[in-house]
Amino acid sequence: MIEVKDLIPVFADVLENENIILELSTTADHVEGWDSLNHIYLVVGIEKKFKVKFTTQEIQSWKNVGDIINNLNRKTGAL
Amino acid sequence: MLFNSVEFLVFLGFVFGFYWFLFSKSKDLQNGILVLSSFIFYSFWDWRFSALLLLSVFINYFGGLFIEEAGDQKKKYWALLITVILNLGILIYFKYFNFFIDSFATLLSYFGYHGENWVLSIVLPIGISFYTFHGLSYILDIYYSRIRTNRNILEYTLFVSYFPLLVAGPIERATHLLPQLKNKRIFNYQQGIQGLELILWGFFKKLVIADTLAPFVAEFFNNPGNYNSATLILGVIAFAFQVYGDFSGYTDIARGVSKLFGIELLVNFRYPYFSRSIPEFWSRWHMSLSSWLNDYVFMPIALRFRGFGRHGIFIAVFLTFLISGFWHGAAWHFVIWGAYHGILYIPFIYRGKGLKSMFGAKQKGIDFKDYSAITVTFIFVLIGYVLFRADSLRSALNYYSGIILDFSFQLPSFEGKIRFLITMVLVLIMLILEVIGFHHTNPISIFSSPKLRLVRWALYAFILFLIGVFMNTNVSSFIYFQF
Repeated sequence: MIEVKDLIPVFADVLENENIILELSTTADHVEGWDSLNHIYLVVGIEKKFKVKFTTQEIQSWKNVGDIINNLNRKTGAL
Repeated sequence: MLFNSVEFLVFLGFVFGFYWFLFSKSKDLQNGILVLSSFIFYSFWDWRFSALLLLSVFINYFGGLFIEEAGDQKKKYWALLITVILNLGILIYFKYFNFFIDSFATLLSYFGYHGENWVLSIVLPIGISFYTFHGLSYILDIYYSRIRTNRNILEYTLFVSYFPLLVAGPIERATHLLPQLKNKRIFNYQQGIQGLELILWGFFKKLVIADTLAPFVAEFFNNPGNYNSATLILGVIAFAFQVYGDFSGYTDIARGVSKLFGIELLVNFRYPYFSRSIPEFWSRWHMSLSSWLNDYVFMPIALRFRGFGRHGIFIAVFLTFLISGFWHGAAWHFVIWGAYHGILYIPFIYRGKGLKSMFGAKQKGIDFKDYSAITVTFIFVLIGYVLFRADSLRSALNYYSGIILDFSFQLPSFEGKIRFLITMVLVLIMLILEVIGFHHTNPISIFSSPKLRLVRWALYAFILFLIGVFMNTNVSSFIYFQF
């Protein structure tokens, strides 16, 4: 089961912020530097780390970190 | 019915009266009178346009329902595809049909085939690019599960047809505008005053700045061969402020009119000519279009090409700007203008750690310490404006060659220098007031404190005086209405 803490290294790396704090309800508006381009780098980073491939429709429907976690858990069979 | 016409002011007075005095009992009555007024407003151009607008409303309202109700992902996809094709089909027919036919005929002529004239006499329905984008954002948001359908057809119709934004935006989003239509609006005096001030400020930018610069710009662009390099450079600078005064003035009027009905519209401009880079420029100029293109064009393409690293980002950026250019007009000079801005992103994409943000950082402050970057960015924007303003690719090339090939160290020389100079002084005053008014809804409200009442009223009077002095007796259209 993937949790928020598992995503932190990817976010810290892409957004160059070692002290980043993420919660399930965190959205792009809450995090400095999380804009459209970094969103793409985040997707690439997450896919690489968890060895999954998202569809465009899945990625576009994410509203917050919780949606990413749920999507990941569905993909990896944890849900 | 243009915003800067007497008919519009009379129309606005009636709608305002009906809205707050006769139809204020419920939000459905308020929405109803606004929908009716919007269709009357649109019919002033041509009643047939209203039928087309209604068709667009129905396509997306029912398209949204089909997408949401579809049982599985495959059906959702097909429902989306059909709705998108219908939307783009209407847009392409009315806006691009002749362009494609004409380009095709030109291509054939290179091979020695000169066919008959296939170009149809199609009238471009005003605002079609704007309300088509409105509808598309709604159905795409439903498809991406960002929003639920809005089943109240009156609210949805108003979302698309609301007259302050119908013909040239701001391009609203369902998440911003629809929630405001779900509750009864209660008159707010302060909001009303802000609205009137925004309208006055918008009229100043349109009638005093844009309309006074327009004939100078038109003369320089129509006859570049008659003027020296310095005059032509001045002509592009004048166009930069003409188009800013025209479009941001229009937006101020639209936002101000909407405030009179208790509805807030999106901000569309934030000091674009103080940008320190081209990506920042696009985060400050026509922001509602930039964010639309970001969400519905750039992101899907960039996600598709995400495996290609920076090259993938470049492909997405370039295609987005190509589409943006094409959206602005069915002509090659607009397409090349779009491509030019896409190419200007290359250094930002490939240098150091790469492009940080498609349309600039989230912070929107102005940093005058970086004046060299501001100047360089403005020069690149000006170079692009020649393509944007010219009537064709050929006349843009003529203009460039007038500046570069016939370059000479001579002072600008043209008729009406004094009027031009006074207008440029007013441009400077406009910019200073807008910068000072950074944290206000409009520059006039800098003087909103009761202690400064006299200054505020003096400013109202001064702006009205300037409008009276400068106003052209012929009502002029807005540049962005053609898009």
